[in-house]
Amino acid sequence: MSETSVVEEKKSHLLHHFVDSDQQFEASKMGMWVFLVTEILFFGGLFAAYIVYRAWYPDLYLQASEELDTFWGAVNTAVLIGSSLTVAMAIRSAQLNQIKGLIINLYITIGLAFTFMVIKYFEYAHKFEKGILPGSYYNYEGIAHEKANIFFSIYYMMTGLHGIHVLIGIGLMIWLVVKAKKNVLHSGYYTPVEITGLYWHLVDVIWIFLFPLLYLID
Amino acid sequence: MSGHHISSAKFLWGVGISLFVLTFITVAVTWIQIPEPWNVVVAISIAVVKALIVAAFFMNLYWDTKFNVMLFIMSVVFFGLLIGITLLDTMYRTDPIPSF
Repeated sequence: MSETSVVEEKKSHLLHHFVDSDQQFEASKMGMWVFLVTEILFFGGLFAAYIVYRAWYPDLYLQASEELDTFWGAVNTAVLIGSSLTVAMAIRSAQLNQIKGLIINLYITIGLAFTFMVIKYFEYAHKFEKGILPGSYYNYEGIAHEKANIFFSIYYMMTGLHGIHVLIGIGLMIWLVVKAKKNVLHSGYYTPVEITGLYWHLVDVIWIFLFPLLYLID
Repeated sequence: MSGHHISSAKFLWGVGISLFVLTFITVAVTWIQIPEPWNVVVAISIAVVKALIVAAFFMNLYWDTKFNVMLFIMSVVFFGLLIGITLLDTMYRTDPIPSF
């Protein structure tokens, strides 16, 4: 009797409509990839807007990009790559049943994600002070181009949507820490870690493109 | 085929460090002022390499099922279609650029 309950507890993650843990894992991962495809095309619309307007106003992009601080953009790129590394290490810890390592790596990731958001906050605050606001609220005189607000509308939409994704990622990591502390996650069932990791890496990939496209063109 | 590939810590650090180095290179090439349009080509090429490294070795596509690889490739293909067809319109308009 006690033997079956141990087996049941270990298999408690397995939903009845799956044959085994592996099938459930593969199904979840494929579902996540389908979601990531929609995410790529979601951001793709904004990248399309960026490209169309850059083709129309190449000079505007060169001038307006000088308002963005390359140093802090580069620091944030490094911060996100570092967090991708810790997420990959978190998945490895889960695969090896090292729950303590998993939690530590998740905490570092959450810390790096907050670092990213704090730097982003100071960048936004600095621009708001100057009057560089999105859309019709734009009232900065420092750029001699009548369409200067267009660049910053695109900037705020792209980095803003990316920032929302980072915040959602922080929420997911906290959820993972809670799950790990309840001893739900182990080497036989780490699907939530794997899937959140895929999401987090995609957020990193988006920023890998945003950084040169927005900060490095001047 | 297996979705349970376990990378060694050394390997993951190697991938991370290569991404840091590429980030430094992409910033460093802006110091030597490559003429238009090659500065954009270089910046995007480095970003594509970085993105492929993340997708292959952090998102484990290198060891993943062909189906998941196909999903990723199709998203890029459809993104290309979105850009390509949109530019066929906006680049060849006889009307002036809209006021917004």
